[in-house]
Amino acid sequence: MKHQLLFVEDGIAIIRLKGELDHHATQTIRDEISQSLYRGTLRAIVWNLKELHFMDSAGIGLILGRMRDFVPTNGKTVILYPSETMKKIFQYSGLGSYVWSTTEEETIAELGGIFNGQ
Amino acid sequence: MDNEMTLSFIAISENEGLARMVMTSFIASLDPTIDELAEFKTIVSEAVTNAIIHGYEEDGEGIVTIRAKRSGREITMTIRDEGRGIPNVEQAMEPLYTSKPERERSGMGFTIMESFSDHLSVWSEPQKGTAITFTKEFLPIQSNFVLGER
Repeated sequence: MKHQLLFVEDGIAIIRLKGELDHHATQTIRDEISQSLYRGTLRAIVWNLKELHFMDSAGIGLILGRMRDFVPTNGKTVILYPSETMKKIFQYSGLGSYVWSTTEEETIAELGGIFNGQ
Repeated sequence: MDNEMTLSFIAISENEGLARMVMTSFIASLDPTIDELAEFKTIVSEAVTNAIIHGYEEDGEGIVTIRAKRSGREITMTIRDEGRGIPNVEQAMEPLYTSKPERERSGMGFTIMESFSDHLSVWSEPQKGTAITFTKEFLPIQSNFVLGER
């Protein structure tokens, strides 16, 4: 399990997850992600799942937890590129509306617009 | 040809991946679609994680046993532990219910297992353990070749 965290301007964090995200993997990456997120003031977290080959409900726990701890009430959580099966898991868990069908670049542009009131 | 297997391992989280890998091999001859395989692996992962975390609290001693049967294009699997058991199965199966919110468990495990399987049943008794049995049928293989058209 690997992840890559990139900070972009305007308080938008992008987390790219790679490999398999299960309960075992979340135990190791949860703290790493949280520590990195503490460094900035966040307005949004974008989860890019393009290279994630497997995810079970542990992924829901990870995303909900980071949302609760780091995303302010008027902030946003965005999920990109989930597989068909992951999409179903997000829908069952009430996170379906966080899935966008945009690219990373388009997402950042759109979020920038939302935050700047355009 | 039908097939049967048993797999046992100790309750550590590393074995969640092991269980998915072995079960993926077990159903390989059914040539599942990407989505069928992903759904099947998710059910296995949820059930095994439940046994490891809730049955044994990851004690590294308790034994989780998977028994699987392939009959035609149907897989029947039982994931069993002899751990602490679930006091109220009905409550545990409600969406978003978790007995371990501090561990960031989403409480979606049973909902996901039920949605991705064709049939799911849960047996549990406090201090005796839990057994989750599910069946999943795989669609017939779609051939890409069209014969006889000229």
